[in-house]
Amino acid sequence: MCLAIPMRITATDGAAATIEADGLVQTTSLMLVPEARVGDFVLVHAGFAIAVLESDDATERLALFEEIVAMATDDETGPSAEPDAERPHDPSI
Amino acid sequence: MTPASSADTAGVARLAAALASVGHLERTYMEVCGTHTMAVSRYGLRDLLPPGMRLVSGPGCPVCVTAVGDLDVVVALSRLPGVTIATFGDLVRVPSSRSSLAGERAAGADVRVVYSPADAVDLAAAEPERQFVLVGIGFETTAPTVAGALLLARERDLANFSVLSLHKTMPGALRALLDSGESRIDGFILPGHVSVVTGSDCYRFLASEYGVGGVVAGFEAHDVLEALLMLARQQRPAIEIGYRRAVTATGNRVAQEVIARVFSPCDAVWRGLGTIPGSGLRLSDEFRAYAAEERFKVAAGAPEEPAGCRCGEVLRGVIDPPDCPLFGRRCTPETPVGACMVSSEGACAAHYRYRAFDLPAGGDD
Repeated sequence: MCLAIPMRITATDGAAATIEADGLVQTTSLMLVPEARVGDFVLVHAGFAIAVLESDDATERLALFEEIVAMATDDETGPSAEPDAERPHDPSI
Repeated sequence: MTPASSADTAGVARLAAALASVGHLERTYMEVCGTHTMAVSRYGLRDLLPPGMRLVSGPGCPVCVTAVGDLDVVVALSRLPGVTIATFGDLVRVPSSRSSLAGERAAGADVRVVYSPADAVDLAAAEPERQFVLVGIGFETTAPTVAGALLLARERDLANFSVLSLHKTMPGALRALLDSGESRIDGFILPGHVSVVTGSDCYRFLASEYGVGGVVAGFEAHDVLEALLMLARQQRPAIEIGYRRAVTATGNRVAQEVIARVFSPCDAVWRGLGTIPGSGLRLSDEFRAYAAEERFKVAAGAPEEPAGCRCGEVLRGVIDPPDCPLFGRRCTPETPVGACMVSSEGACAAHYRYRAFDLPAGGDD
């Protein structure tokens, strides 16, 4: 019910936008995010974009993540990026 | 059970190790979001918790917390000639007192599943001879989308579109859970996408008035584990954001304004929690003409909970799904008795689908 998916805006036409992720193309309403522009990643729920995702957040989150697991052992080289076939790729990571 | 596929398996392992290094910590944390319920079960996260730490599921599934009496109204509306019910998919099979939308559809009612409330508006515009009733279910994530659809309907001057608002808001439910004192809650995993709209500031009362912390979490395995770790590490109760890429302190102001314009707060009946003042949303005075309960007068009769169903206790986090005597026996995803098993985000459905369990009731934990 609260499922919301990050997708990238490829075109806009007033409050309507064409969005894309992993080859899936949809239209959505930008009514709730009037600041969104072509090229932005937005979080889409039930046919409406509800947030513009900050592309910088991926970097910030990784830094916070490293800080939080500082107590764990150090010999791993870092998060492996195994794509989850059942979920659209999150372009914000 | 090891975590299922995740975009970040090594990260999950490291977070699990960090959680384990917390040692024995007697804590009960509650998640209040159906998508978190699913993620926890799907990724087997309970098996990664350190000794003493429990994660329980609360009233986070909007379909599951819809009162049977409200479902009876939906069913009654579906029986009206010339009325089409537009609904999100997971409501269709939820049992009302004596029926369900699926049952009514089999008996000839016009029930259409929509992905977006805006689709219901398009349907109404294409079929002016029928009255379309959109059943508005969902928390603050979904309410602005229904509000947006209603604005579209008004813009298009549709006379055949209305909304039955059964929307609910989270903060009142959290307060009611803590006020009841029924079970121990040391902290909340706060909903990810509800918080995109509301912002995290609306939860500050949890820390300031109840001494209970909360972390807004995303939906991947590492997001939930990170939030648990953040909760475990709080020196004093605080509201923090783990899901920083999408959630801010103040949330989506435009969405909040759309909600405030189209809806007004009202009292709402929550399955399992009873009436919570101010926790519902009804259409505002400006939009009353679109309220289905005003446009169509239906008599729904006295609501009946299914015999033996313990959804209410599951929703309050008082029992786990296997503790319900119907779980896995009379109540399965194929033959659900209560909403917690029907809904794709219900605690019982999540538990059944992703977890090995032993019958008879008593569980394996």
